[in-house]
Amino acid sequence: MRASDLAVPLPLVDRHTTALQAARLVAREGLTGLVITDERGTPQTAVPAVDVLGLLIPGFLRDDIRLAQVYDQKAAEELWLDAGRRTLADLLDDDDLHQAALLQIEPDATILEVAARMSHAHVQIAVVKSRPGAAPLFVTMPALMDAILTLCGDGRPTG
Amino acid sequence: MSIQVVLALIVFVGAYVLIATEKVPRVTVALTGGALMVLLGATDTAGPYFSEESGIDWNVIFLLLGMMIIVGILRQSGAFEFVAIWAAKRARGRPTVVLVLLIVITAVLSAVLDNVTTVLLVAPVTFLICERLAVPAIPFLISEVLASNIGGTATLIGDPPNLIIASRAGLTFMDFVVNLGPIVVVLLAVFTGMALLMFRKHLRYDPVRAARVMALTEREAIRDPRLLVTSLAVIAVVLAGFVLQSVTGLEPSVVAMLGAGLLVLLTRLETSTIFADVEWETLLFFAGLFVMVGGLVNLGVIEQIGNAAAGAVGDRYSGAAAILLVGSAVVSGIVDNIPYVATMAPLVNDLVAVGGDAARPLWWALTLGADLGGNATAVGASANVVVLGIARRNGQPISFWEFTKYGLITTGVTVAIAVPYVMVRYF
Repeated sequence: MRASDLAVPLPLVDRHTTALQAARLVAREGLTGLVITDERGTPQTAVPAVDVLGLLIPGFLRDDIRLAQVYDQKAAEELWLDAGRRTLADLLDDDDLHQAALLQIEPDATILEVAARMSHAHVQIAVVKSRPGAAPLFVTMPALMDAILTLCGDGRPTG
Repeated sequence: MSIQVVLALIVFVGAYVLIATEKVPRVTVALTGGALMVLLGATDTAGPYFSEESGIDWNVIFLLLGMMIIVGILRQSGAFEFVAIWAAKRARGRPTVVLVLLIVITAVLSAVLDNVTTVLLVAPVTFLICERLAVPAIPFLISEVLASNIGGTATLIGDPPNLIIASRAGLTFMDFVVNLGPIVVVLLAVFTGMALLMFRKHLRYDPVRAARVMALTEREAIRDPRLLVTSLAVIAVVLAGFVLQSVTGLEPSVVAMLGAGLLVLLTRLETSTIFADVEWETLLFFAGLFVMVGGLVNLGVIEQIGNAAAGAVGDRYSGAAAILLVGSAVVSGIVDNIPYVATMAPLVNDLVAVGGDAARPLWWALTLGADLGGNATAVGASANVVVLGIARRNGQPISFWEFTKYGLITTGVTVAIAVPYVMVRYF
């Protein structure tokens, strides 16, 4: 099994996508992260779903999480009415969050190589290299795990 | 003037320009500048570590380190959030009263903590209160950072330049409180009035929104009461140690490190939490600066300038104090006041050595000018830069000129009050 066997298309977003749109996409598709394209539509980076979650929360609560405790139920629910107005650009431009370039994998890379590189880069999405103009395809963490479990067999040592 | 002196001056001025323009990280500039001074032979290899005259001032470094550890642990307690929300509720959600209380809380906090830590603690809870009140956070944030720079002037540990001045001049914690405390109280009172005047348009009271503040439960901010009690007890002991320096003979750096050690021992937090607030880059920046300035001291540059200044001043110390105060405020509004004070401290030391007691008020002029001048522009003090960043991240950006507009007015007024204070009190 090779990286190309796992490659699937993913919905693409750009820096102008609002946090609410991004959250809907994550929830609907059950995604672990979102691939963000540059102005030309080329995949640029992938943000984990947890960073999208951070965009939904007011910035001051991320700066000081203890403050989340001082809201009562009614006030806490009111806060969500204003959530999601920020865009992914806020994530990309945040100096405190390091957004690495999208991990690129050769299509003929073995599952072991894909697993090693994604683990080392600490990412849940990698792009499979393709010829110019072709629609981008990605290896996602659930697909990779699924492939690994298939190769593991029933888990008993052989030989 | 020898080639060595010329090269050392080029290194020094070049470093200053790079720090002021922020083209290169300031810690990189300071360490490179210090290394070049060693390579130029402006200081020998032992000097940076062991010379009290021209080496790294370990009292300053370890005082900063100790306080950073203490604050890092104390902030886990939720005490600051509790006090700010409690104050907003005591104000019954009236924005004008909330603003006054937050100004006072920030100023008092910044007298015992460094200004950057203070605004980092106060800004998030300010956003929360403003969100509840549906008022813009910008007037509150600007007021708080200006108040923190004023409040920090009052004590030895309130603002980094004060640490350098205290160490060079041999001034104690109580020297600062006695000499600068009264004027800081006056400046704070005046500034509070100014803030209410400057931001009155944004401070509209809405009973419905005020009720939302009253619904906040500040006690929930404190998750670990034992940590709170322990931290406050150790802080009290450390402050007592500072106050009693003349009795115990313990340097503030020793007191701070002992306090930090005690707190680490009593709270048993994870190492990552204990050192989370230690700004290693800032400590290294100080170290590099001390070596750079020490190079000029070793080469006799500072002494020559000091002699020239002493000749020009003669015995006219009141005029010198006024010029030093205003000049320091102007320079500190443009460049970081830490390198400025690191350079000026040995110079003032020379002037005081020549003039004796009559010249000692020059230390207070330098402190007031450098600290109050930090308010003048958005880049005048580190706390200003930090608040601008927080405001941007929270969707309420403060432009350079918006901050500077209020900063210049505040600096103008506070310096105008500080100059006659120094004249009347000391001359």
